Amino acid sequence: MEAQLDQAGLATLEAAKVADARGSSCPGPLLEAKKGIGGVPVGGVLEILTTDPQTKSDIGAWCNKVGHGFLGVADADGYERVYVKRAK
Amino acid sequence: MDAPEKLVIIVTHGPDEPELATLPFVMAAGALVSDVEVVIAFQAEGVRLITKGGADDVHADSFPPLAELIGTVAEIGGLLMPCSPCLESRGITEDQMLDGVEVIGAARLVTEITSATATLNY
Repeated sequence: MEAQLDQAGLATLEAAKVADARGSSCPGPLLEAKKGIGGVPVGGVLEILTTDPQTKSDIGAWCNKVGHGFLGVADADGYERVYVKRAK
Repeated sequence: MDAPEKLVIIVTHGPDEPELATLPFVMAAGALVSDVEVVIAFQAEGVRLITKGGADDVHADSFPPLAELIGTVAEIGGLLMPCSPCLESRGITEDQMLDGVEVIGAARLVTEITSATATLNY
């Protein structure tokens, strides 16, 4: 399983793609993540922007299920940035 | 390779109960993006949800509009299967159903259920 990064580590990530799911609730952010990951090369990072506080646990569960790396969550101004590393 | 996991969801509530009509599709979306196959069977009032325009005015608080969610679930591989006698008893014909649905009977649904790894009933 991919190790999560601390805030300093997350701040250095360069996302290959950003999926903006702000304003959307379950299952919207998950669907945006699924759609977005297809546009990320294997080993690359998808950044999901979300205002739904449950997104991080849902994306974490999704990563565990399908094998992608859940890198962590960073607070932003009124929303969160969730980072996923594409594994396959 | 192991057989893929499969979830069968049985929907019995119709447009008059927006939250119970929407939740099956939320769960279906969660399963499909997690590489779990999904069959959604519709019985009783549930069959109205997958008629053309049948979900247009269904929008539960805090959820996406149902018609949009049904479209997404179908697009990402969810199979939609209404019960034949439930359509007949409501005077609903196959040409009134959304494109791509497969009308089924009891024996077919049983084969889907017994080959599934889990079922959910709404």
